[in-house]
Amino acid sequence: MLDVPTTDFDFSTAAEIAIAVKSGRSTALAVIEAALARIRERDPVLNSFTAVTEQRALLRAEALDATRERGEPLGPLAGVPFAVKNLFDVSGLPTLAGSKINRDMPPATRDAVLIERLEAAGAILVGALNMGEYAYDFTGENVHDGASRNPHDHERMSGGSSGGSGAAVGGGLVPLALGSDTNGSIRVPSSLCGIFGLKPTYGRLTRARTFPFVASLDHLGPFARSALDLALAYDAMQGFDAGDSACASRPVEPVAPVLEQGVDGLRVAVAAGYFKCNSGETCYAIDRVSAALGANRDIDIPEAQRARAAAFIITASEGASLHLNRLRARARDFDPAVRDRLLAGAMTPASLVVKAQKFRRWYRAQVLKLFDEVDAIIAPATPCTAPLIGQQTFMFGDTELPVRANLGLYTQPISFIGLPVVAVPVPLEPLPIGVQIIAAPWREDVVLRLAHALEMQGVVAAPRPAV
Amino acid sequence: MKRKVIRKSARAPKQDSIESLVVAGAQALGLTLDPSWEAGVKFNLQLILRHAALVDEFPLPDDAEPAEIFHA
Repeated sequence: MLDVPTTDFDFSTAAEIAIAVKSGRSTALAVIEAALARIRERDPVLNSFTAVTEQRALLRAEALDATRERGEPLGPLAGVPFAVKNLFDVSGLPTLAGSKINRDMPPATRDAVLIERLEAAGAILVGALNMGEYAYDFTGENVHDGASRNPHDHERMSGGSSGGSGAAVGGGLVPLALGSDTNGSIRVPSSLCGIFGLKPTYGRLTRARTFPFVASLDHLGPFARSALDLALAYDAMQGFDAGDSACASRPVEPVAPVLEQGVDGLRVAVAAGYFKCNSGETCYAIDRVSAALGANRDIDIPEAQRARAAAFIITASEGASLHLNRLRARARDFDPAVRDRLLAGAMTPASLVVKAQKFRRWYRAQVLKLFDEVDAIIAPATPCTAPLIGQQTFMFGDTELPVRANLGLYTQPISFIGLPVVAVPVPLEPLPIGVQIIAAPWREDVVLRLAHALEMQGVVAAPRPAV
Repeated sequence: MKRKVIRKSARAPKQDSIESLVVAGAQALGLTLDPSWEAGVKFNLQLILRHAALVDEFPLPDDAEPAEIFHA
C-alpha cells in the first residue's frame, strides 16, 4: 500500500507523488517547489547538483496542473521531480560530462531522448548532476566541481561516476535520477548511497544526445528509492530510437505490470569464485539476499577475472580514442587522474584491444549458458561500504587495492557483456551496501521482480539518512 | 569454492619497455607529456598491460570474432 503524501514529499517515492498529483490531492507545483526547497537546503553539503533548472521546472509543473484541471489524463510519473547526470543534454546547458573542457561547448539545443521520454510520462526535470570527469571514475570525486558527498556520512564517497545521481536520490532531494554505467557507474553509487539502481541490457535504452565514454560499453539507467520507481521510469524510457546505433529494435516490454509476480518459479544462484564475498558487510548482504530468494546453490561465472581485465583494456583504449584530440590540445585541463589514465589508454597496442573484444564474445557465450540453469545470479555490488573522500586504497581480504580502479571489480565482468542488473540496497548500519541481481539479456522483468520481492520482505530498502 | 587470486601474468611488461612505449607512443600520436605526468602515465600503462597480458594468454581459435557492434 503506497502512502500518499499531500504536503511533505520528503523521501516520498515517485509512485507516491504521481498518485498524489493524479488524484488531485497535491499539485505538481507544490511537489516541485518542495523539491527545489530541499535542493537549496541540502545540496550545499551534498554537492550533487551542478545546475538547477528552476524556471523550466516551475513552468512545466504549472502546465501539468493546467492539464489536470482540463480533465486530461496524466502520465504514470505525473509531477515527479527528477535530475540527470550532467552528461545528458539539457536544452540551454552545456553538456559538461564532469569536465572543465566541455564548459566551452555551446549549450545543448535539445534534451536527451530519455529526458523527453520521462517528461512525456509526466516527470519534471529539476537539474543536472555532478559526476566524475568524463565518467572515468568510481569515486564520485571531481576536481572541478568538488566531490559529491555520501548522504549517510558526508565525509565519505558517493561512488562514481554517477556520484551526484546517487547523492541526490540517497539524500532525498529527488526521488528519481538518471545516470550512466560503463563499468559500474550506476551500481557503485547505488551501493554506496543505499538506493536502487537499474543498469538495463546493453542496447535497451537509447543513449541519443548524451556525452559518450566507451561506445561498446555505455549504458544509461535510473536510480530510485524503490524497485517500483525503477520499473515506472524504465517503462517510460523503453523503445527503439534510431539516434543510437546500438539501440535494439525490440518491442516495449513493460515491467511494472508484472512486478508483483514475485520469486515463484525463478531459480536464483549465488555467484561464486571471483565474486565470493570478501568482507563482513558484503557477506552479510549476500547471505540476507540469498536466503530471502531461496538461492541455495552457487554458480561459477567462468573467467570473470579475465573478463574484468578485458573490460579494463577496452575502456582505456576506447576512452582514449574518444578524447585523443582533447588530450593533444588541452591535456592540462583534464583532471590529472583521468588524464593519466587516458594517455596510457592511447598508447595501448590495438592488437591487445582487438583480442579483448574477441575474448568478450567467447565470454558472453559461456555466461549465457548459465542461464539455461538459473534465471538470476546474485553477487556483491561493491567490495566495501563507502570509503572516505580522498581515500586511496582499501583492504580486499589481505590485499590492499587502489580505490579508484577497484570499486567496480564486481560490476565490470557483468556490464562487459551487457547483462541487465538491479543493484539493491541492504540497509546496514552505519553504512548501506548493495547487491547485484543479474539476469539474461532482455530480462529486466526478472531482476526487477526479484528486487521488488526483496523490498516487500523488508530485506532491502533505501535507508533514510539523518538530514 | 576457492577464490581465484588476482595474479600477475608471465607476460606482464618490464618497466623499461613501458618507458619506451610511453615515449614512442606520445611521439607517434602527437601527444605532449609534461615530465611531471610521466610517472602517472607509466603506472597506468603498466596496469593496462598487466590486464592485457591476462587476456592475451587466453587461447582463442583463429576464427574468434570480436564483439564490436556493427550493422551493415
